[in-house]
Amino acid sequence: MQLSGTDRNRRFLAAGAAVAVVTVMALVLIVGFRLATRIRASVAALQTTSVLQTYPAVISQQLAALRGQLDTLEYTGRVHGELAATIANFNKDFATIERRHDLDPAAIQRAQTLWQSYQPVLAPVLAFSGEPYDDTDTGSSLSPGGRVYYDQVRRAAIFAAENATVLHQQLASLSGSLQKRTSAAAARLRTLLFVGVLTVLALAMAALYLQLARGRHERAARDAQEQTRDILKTVREGFFLLDADYRIGSVWSEALTRLFGRSDFAGLDFEELLRDKVSPETLATAVKYIKLLWGERARENLMKSINPLGQLEVSMDNGRGGKETRYLQFDFHRVMGPKGVKHVLCAVGDITSNVLLARELQEAQENAHSQLDMMVGMLHADPLQVSTFLDSASAGLKHVNTILKEPARTDAEFRKKLAGLSRELHSIKGEASALNLMSIAQRVHHLEDMVGELKGKSELTGNDFLPVVLKLDELLAHLRGVREMTARLVTLKDGSPEPGATLSVPQLRIVSAEQPAAASSTERPTRAAGDLGTMLQQLAAKLAQDHGKRITLTLSGLGEVPEAYLSTVKDCVIQMLRNAAVHGIEPSDARRATAKPEAGEVRVDFHRSEKGYELVFQDDGAGLSPETLKQAAVRKNILTGEEAAALDNRAALALIFRPGFSTRDEVSMDAGRGVGMDVVARAVYALGGKIGVSTNPGRFTRFKIALPEASQAPAVA
Amino acid sequence: MSTDSHPDGGRRQVRLLIVDDSNIVRRRIERSQRLGEIEVVGTASNGIEALELARRTDPDLVTMDLTMPQMDGIECISRLIELKPSMRILVISALADKATAVQAMEQGANGFLHKPFTDRQLNDAIAELIF
Repeated sequence: MQLSGTDRNRRFLAAGAAVAVVTVMALVLIVGFRLATRIRASVAALQTTSVLQTYPAVISQQLAALRGQLDTLEYTGRVHGELAATIANFNKDFATIERRHDLDPAAIQRAQTLWQSYQPVLAPVLAFSGEPYDDTDTGSSLSPGGRVYYDQVRRAAIFAAENATVLHQQLASLSGSLQKRTSAAAARLRTLLFVGVLTVLALAMAALYLQLARGRHERAARDAQEQTRDILKTVREGFFLLDADYRIGSVWSEALTRLFGRSDFAGLDFEELLRDKVSPETLATAVKYIKLLWGERARENLMKSINPLGQLEVSMDNGRGGKETRYLQFDFHRVMGPKGVKHVLCAVGDITSNVLLARELQEAQENAHSQLDMMVGMLHADPLQVSTFLDSASAGLKHVNTILKEPARTDAEFRKKLAGLSRELHSIKGEASALNLMSIAQRVHHLEDMVGELKGKSELTGNDFLPVVLKLDELLAHLRGVREMTARLVTLKDGSPEPGATLSVPQLRIVSAEQPAAASSTERPTRAAGDLGTMLQQLAAKLAQDHGKRITLTLSGLGEVPEAYLSTVKDCVIQMLRNAAVHGIEPSDARRATAKPEAGEVRVDFHRSEKGYELVFQDDGAGLSPETLKQAAVRKNILTGEEAAALDNRAALALIFRPGFSTRDEVSMDAGRGVGMDVVARAVYALGGKIGVSTNPGRFTRFKIALPEASQAPAVA
Repeated sequence: MSTDSHPDGGRRQVRLLIVDDSNIVRRRIERSQRLGEIEVVGTASNGIEALELARRTDPDLVTMDLTMPQMDGIECISRLIELKPSMRILVISALADKATAVQAMEQGANGFLHKPFTDRQLNDAIAELIF
């Protein structure tokens, strides 16, 4: 405001100076012109008076000459004519002088009077005409007229000779005064020109100074403008002004181009700026909000608190043909003018990294919480069990990795991979939840979800597996974390940290077996079996609680399980126990209604048989219904209707060992993924064993697993 | 309607109507206004009740919940403004959704306070509206 005011003043001054220069120059020219005209007239008059001054002498001479000629009787006609001409010229010139107003009238009058006094003597001379001589044979003599003429000439000559000087002086004084006046006028003209030039010079200098000042000011304004431009170019936020029509002004910061991937902002409607970048609902709210900013109720704090664009999720082209999600923060400030809100200044920042960081922090916090949960869970679990689990889980995941690395090209091969993945993951999850290691169980559950999604895809490629591989890495890292924590816990529990008792599982075993270094291999199965029993009891209790059922688990002969079978037997029993808890055992009220004991009974018996070992798993639950199994198989597209109808009861029961079979429709942590009994069957087959199922609907389900002698068993991966 | 109709000659007290479906919140606001220039002229637990009370008690200021049974806050705000355009309305809501806040402002609300709030925040918000 201040700047533009002085700027205006300067402009006025410069214009005033220019007008003054022109006016002064015009005045000087007009006055100078008049003076010059007067001087020119005076010079002409001066010439005339100079000529006039000579006339009295000339008249006197001519009269004298005329007298001389009359004396010598010469021809007088020529001189007489000259005299008449001189007198006529005098009269003419004198008349010119008389007309001038700038001469002293008294001096003119005096000259006039003098000249008038010439007239009585000159007039008779001029009036003479005819021949002054009488020519006879004896010679010439004056004629009578000639004698009169002679007298008149003589008188006139005497008069003229007497008065010539006076008249001359009178005329000379006229000429003198005229000369004085002329030189005075010339002096005035000189002064005028001098003053005029000086004034013009002064004004020109003033104008020049003002012009320079204006130039300086303009330079300053340009500098300021350039600085503004630099700021707008460099600042990381997008800045622009919105006018009352919600349109963007002509000035904006460069960052806006980067933020929105366009540069046609001038005059752009705010709604247009956000269209296609946010949902229609958000857009509508944003537009309403912008309108509110112009209202009188829109106080800055209030508007800030209800700003719907404080953290705006927008989807932008990422320049590679795809879309990416970014978070923008819009801040609005009202710019007030004399008549209310003039503009709204809008600042846009990209807060994507802040938002992501906040999320990471939150995740880290959740991780820390889950670690704490895990720690609490592990405090309740036996370190040996945990380490055994960690061993088998690591082995399982290694197997998963092997599955993933297997080359595959066709869709069928990919699907085979997926099936293998599912089984491994499912058994790891089962063990983890049995040990109450929920952080691991949840992670595996999440992985299973991913695998499940892949299964649902119509066509599979190698790329689809990448997220799974990443998630697996994460899971492995987590397992390492658990292992470290177990080591620390063991150290704590033992009370005497040993240098070696850190990370490796064999050492863990030694520490917790209370017989360091001396633990013999023959004792291990017993110990491991004892742990297995405890673990299974805990799992049964947990499953019962989770599914709102009561379960009594009776275990026998688990001490007999050879070490080579320990892992498989454990996996199989866990899976069957879960199946029993989810599918087999009925809820308490249902059991009461069928006169069964409220608590479901599950028996697990391991014993030697003729050819090796036998594991019998039996629950007194609802049993398996061949019809239900068939229906489920049809629903899962494992069988067609006709195929199902053709199956006898025995074959129908065998359906539960098929991959992908599950009678549960919703997925829970414990069952329903269609991975379960097929894992058990595979594990059994892998050891060269057999599995069979028998059931009595409403009464029981019994699995019998036959295993060969341990020494003949193939090595387990 | 005008202040000079009051017999005490001075400025009349600001008349406050509290609208919230939670009894606890209503009491909380009421308690915070025991002292000072504000007179609580009524409390309502839904929009219809609020309109009814507003007709009878002619409040200058209303604290308004948004999610209420029968008539929600947004509709109630526009009805109250119809009734008395000079009425000041402070929305007090737990809704984090900015779109609702914008909508409330559009209907004529003058201020917005998030639940939960402290007495200080409440008094500041009210002060901003009436002084």
